[in-house]
Amino acid sequence: MIMVVRIAFATGSGGLDDEIYSRLGRAPTFTIVDVDEKTGEILNVKVIENPGYTAGSGAGVKAAQALGDEKVQVYAGPTPGPNAYAALQYLGIKVVPLTGYKVRDAVKKVLEMLA
Amino acid sequence: MPSGPKAIVSVTGGKGGTGKSFVATNLAVLLSERISNGLVLADLDVEAPNDHILLGVGDPLNVIEIEIFFPKIDYKKCTSCGACVKACDTGAIIMAQGRPPFVFPRLCSGCMACYYVCPEKAIARDGKRVLGYIRTYRVERNGKSFMLVSGTIREGEEHTPPAIVATKRHAMNMSRGLLLVDTGAGTGNGISAAIQYSDLVIAVTEPTPLGLHDLESILKIVSGMGYRSWVVINRHGIGPEEEHVELAKQYGVERIYRIPYSPIVPRAYSRGMPIVEYAPDDPASKALEELARDLAVELEGKLGVAGVVGA
Repeated sequence: MIMVVRIAFATGSGGLDDEIYSRLGRAPTFTIVDVDEKTGEILNVKVIENPGYTAGSGAGVKAAQALGDEKVQVYAGPTPGPNAYAALQYLGIKVVPLTGYKVRDAVKKVLEMLA
Repeated sequence: MPSGPKAIVSVTGGKGGTGKSFVATNLAVLLSERISNGLVLADLDVEAPNDHILLGVGDPLNVIEIEIFFPKIDYKKCTSCGACVKACDTGAIIMAQGRPPFVFPRLCSGCMACYYVCPEKAIARDGKRVLGYIRTYRVERNGKSFMLVSGTIREGEEHTPPAIVATKRHAMNMSRGLLLVDTGAGTGNGISAAIQYSDLVIAVTEPTPLGLHDLESILKIVSGMGYRSWVVINRHGIGPEEEHVELAKQYGVERIYRIPYSPIVPRAYSRGMPIVEYAPDDPASKALEELARDLAVELEGKLGVAGVVGA
């Protein structure tokens, strides 16, 4: 049986070859990747716009809500601020602090950290 | 406009550190001697009010809480439909699918949008939380006195406009004569709320490029709101001010005053005394006196003949 984990990365233009963005709430997009937990195979990729990018305030919370709506299980990117962190916790989304990687390479890193 | 003050004069300026509170507190002291039917100074720099320090006053007469709406959710009625989450402009409400929403108090601006959109009427109308405090001081000067109303938001709060509006309303209710408003820095919604209803706006600037830049920002707001304006160039003499004068003309500013740069001013500051009391003969004090005198004459019509003495 395949165990799929849904990971969201904070990204700029979005996609597997995009670098992880330096901020969560104000990241332009999230790249959401479905991964086979055992093999690390990427099964599906989806890029969504982050509503927090253009928000007047509460960007981190709005970003977290968008991830919750997409049924994301793991968030990977820069360390969330206090509000975003509380929101992610409430939504049951695991937080993996990770920057300096392309999404494609980061997938393996995230799986290692989760193991 | 609520009944209360006969005239409202606001001191603002856009840039931080130009001397808004300096001008406002000194004007208050000078005008309290001239205006017989009462002066109220409202410190609406709610993030860092310090007129009470500049005036060297003691404990406030009273402190009241600024309360704003806060959604109290009845979880028996809530169906987790998510309407409140969508309506919340400040991102203060979050909801996991199938679970009740959760509110971040510090992000909530108290706008009540969630209350109005909730189809289940699960949000109470009378939910409240404390955003900040209004302190009222009596300032005694040479046998005369005036009131200082000072608004503060609690540490960590993000929304200043509701606190500014509440403090201003309190000051207006208290005032029967002249209401002098001291605003914070900037040109945001809170500043517009602070200068609303003004009969005259005094924009304080300084002869620096930054002063020039922020003067234009504030004059855009003031002229856009249709208010009369005077400009005060503080620290006159430290740099060129031709462009400031040109800008003032462009925006229909009626008068320009200059307060010369004086090293005595920070000394007065450090003693918690207005310069007009610490060094009444200093050129800066003389300039402030001229401004106060002209202001008293200007307000004579509004305040009535009995309102202004010794103008």
